[in-house]
Amino acid sequence: MGEFKGTPATGDLTVALSNDELHILINLVEQLLELLGERNFAHHYQSDDPFAQLMAAQLMNMEPLSAPEDPVLNRLLPNAYADPEAADEFRKYTEPRLRQIKQQHLMYLREQLIFPVDHELPKADIAITDAQQWLIAINDVRLALAVRLNVNPESFERYENLPDTDPQKSLFAVYFWLGGIQEKLIEHL
Amino acid sequence: MSTELEELEELDLSKFFDRPWVTIVWDDPVNLQSYVTYVFIKLFGFSNEKAHELMMKVHTEGKAVVSAGSREAMENDVSRLHEHGLWATLQREDANG
Repeated sequence: MGEFKGTPATGDLTVALSNDELHILINLVEQLLELLGERNFAHHYQSDDPFAQLMAAQLMNMEPLSAPEDPVLNRLLPNAYADPEAADEFRKYTEPRLRQIKQQHLMYLREQLIFPVDHELPKADIAITDAQQWLIAINDVRLALAVRLNVNPESFERYENLPDTDPQKSLFAVYFWLGGIQEKLIEHL
Repeated sequence: MSTELEELEELDLSKFFDRPWVTIVWDDPVNLQSYVTYVFIKLFGFSNEKAHELMMKVHTEGKAVVSAGSREAMENDVSRLHEHGLWATLQREDANG
């Protein structure tokens, strides 16, 4: 479990993570970045290239965008309207930007997850220069994990009753561990 | 500009004349209570008490209205909530309560 030191106000907040914890977190962040990268045309909208701008203009005339089939993406990029028609129309204009914002938070977190130069160290002090971005990125990672684990209000009981040999057991442990990091980040904000 | 006019401008008139849309936050079993409260304070400038109260409403009643105004403003609020991983939708104020 990551131990926090310092405060964001003085710019010296750190969390102590073991190599295993770093590996797990990097892996989850990279998986989510890859998932969010699919079907994202956001870069067309902001390009200086006239051809890309033309593509963007065409995209704007495209059919409404339906909700992603992947349940993780569906949770991270949810419908804004209960009415599917209105939701798809809204999504056409907003989903690329929402994906891009989430990618930016995750890339920021990924850049901060650096293994210590001295591999013999049991824990590395990871600097948290922007606790808010960390919090949002870790929340998205946790949401994604929760979808894959089918988390519901009875999940903690289910987790406690799982045998140690069950592969879901360690994923649940990571899920609760991330929740603990979030609580600490909020305390430090 | 006179002080009176400034005060008038600060009053959000859309709340009185044009309030057909609301932003609703829905309960989910994943987002932490402390995180939801934090997001409400950050995005809407609520006091700690108000944010906590709304969070508890979402948690116990399954949903809560967090803002009201023009459709455009509500679309913006929903987008910001989605950026923070909260489950939010907008709808007409009178649609199914």
